[in-house]
Amino acid sequence: MLRLAKQRKIKLLIYSSSLSILLFISFLFSLMIGSFLLSPMEVFENLINPEKNKTISTIIFNYRLPRALFTMITGFSLGISGGVIQSLTRNPLADPYITGMSSGAALGATIAFLLPNISIHFIPFFAFLGGISSILLTIFLAKKAKADPIGFILAGIAVGILANAILILIITLAQEKAHGIIYWIYGSFSTSKWSNVIITFPIVAFCSIFLLINARDLNILLLGEEHALQLGINAKRLWILMLLISSLCVSSCIAFSGIIGFVGLVAPHMIRLMISSDNRFVLPLGGLTGSFLLLVSDNIVKSYINPFGEIPISTITSMIGVPFFIYLLMKKGGKYEM
Amino acid sequence: MKCEIIVDGITVYFNSSKILENIKFEVNKGEMLGIIGPNGAGKTTLLKCIARSIIPKGRIIVFGKSINEYTNSEYSKIVSALLPNWPNGFNMKVYEVVLMGCRNRTESFWWEKEEDIKIAEKFLKLLKVYHLYDRDFTTLSSGEQRRVLIAKSLVQRTDIILLDEPIAYLDLKYRIEVMEILKSLSRKNKIVIITAHEIDLVSSYCDKIIVLNNGKIVAMGRPRDIINEKLIYEVYGINAAIKWFENYPIIIPKRNNKKEENYYV
Repeated sequence: MLRLAKQRKIKLLIYSSSLSILLFISFLFSLMIGSFLLSPMEVFENLINPEKNKTISTIIFNYRLPRALFTMITGFSLGISGGVIQSLTRNPLADPYITGMSSGAALGATIAFLLPNISIHFIPFFAFLGGISSILLTIFLAKKAKADPIGFILAGIAVGILANAILILIITLAQEKAHGIIYWIYGSFSTSKWSNVIITFPIVAFCSIFLLINARDLNILLLGEEHALQLGINAKRLWILMLLISSLCVSSCIAFSGIIGFVGLVAPHMIRLMISSDNRFVLPLGGLTGSFLLLVSDNIVKSYINPFGEIPISTITSMIGVPFFIYLLMKKGGKYEM
Repeated sequence: MKCEIIVDGITVYFNSSKILENIKFEVNKGEMLGIIGPNGAGKTTLLKCIARSIIPKGRIIVFGKSINEYTNSEYSKIVSALLPNWPNGFNMKVYEVVLMGCRNRTESFWWEKEEDIKIAEKFLKLLKVYHLYDRDFTTLSSGEQRRVLIAKSLVQRTDIILLDEPIAYLDLKYRIEVMEILKSLSRKNKIVIITAHEIDLVSSYCDKIIVLNNGKIVAMGRPRDIINEKLIYEVYGINAAIKWFENYPIIIPKRNNKKEENYYV
């Protein structure tokens, strides 16, 4: 068993470094891909010496770099929070999108957008309020109905649809003011700015550190409150804290990126299926996988340009995610396996 | 002698029905206590009260302090409990389950320390499930799962060990082995409290027995003094003959010929 313990340490190191390398490669690609292609040499030269070609460095530093960074941050927050929410709700099908959290966060953010004289810094806060209240509503409904994992998902979908409906209603009523929001709701990184990176990075970093520190206790929470208490964990408090922090983590990103489906579901499960369902693997590696998936999806979005604008990124992530979701539903849904 | 656990008149209600009523008993260091009684008598509830997962009316004092005064982390270093309703269907490996037992006294937050792993190994070997350590917990048989969970409880290294039906699902050999392990722990000055349906084994290993029925203590004392035909009839409602072999009672239930036809209604 000692050998196994050492192997696991090495395993985590190998997987996280290889994922980081993959992530870095797709990061370089994302600097090359866009309305016109840059060669790797051009990217490197301008990264090292921004004065070399003003136009290219403007494109890289003002558009592509913040976009790539923000995409990575969002992907990480979706991956890690997806893993946490699945463990907290003991539901393999849960993720920020399916539990209604994303829609709630988008609703909160939209309301914030439409409020007069509001600073951009408060938008994540409104998104957080929207996100947390919708997931709490989902949990409340599921508990009330004594729902099984599938019932929990149904409650989440209902809450999500409700939040979406209110969102559309507000946008339609606000008309001119809300121009452009409808596009943003479906998820897009085309308008990413440095300010998004600057606001979300500290929030996501803080939340991720908190979630990672508690990864081991999250394993124990899977056993239920009684067993966790018995091992010296204040289960109720930790459960609420982790739910709040993971909601904050996702909501702050969704406030600027719009709703992005299925990354939070797929990323942690890839780790569970391939490596281990220990949260000490699922959370960090799930976060990196989320980053990678979202960045690759965004690269696909950027490489196909049409006159009407970009494809919403959710279409790409859903195309990857839905088959996976159906697979999980068929294979594991009934069996309650994590 | 100073008593290490004092249960001082606890009562538990659940939805306005009484589960436990005015339970009073004391346990000393180095004692092994068995709780027996029919299904639904309140055995597990009593264990849960001591494990703090149910808060009863009344007082429970452990090592001179009311149990409500301990923090969760302090209490987890004193009392370990194998409780029922272990969730099934999690893709956890056996070693992951056992290592969870270290959580109460570990200072590292990410990986378990080497000494923790060695202790987990020791208890897995003691309960003869070490060879299964890399298996999925859910793929084990009920008896193997039980032994892994007992190992997890022992890994907590507490002075008070509460086990809910530790020998359920076990075969003849492991019943004896588990009881021997628990007895040897109690000889090392630990307090072991178990619930069980196996009156014979409990009588031969435990120093003291509590017999519960309908939430009340019907009898309490040394097994040899209290286990008799009258008690079995009072508690279980069956006629039985009891033969003692030293400390080991053999209980032979008598068939109830009169009522037999009614069972087929």
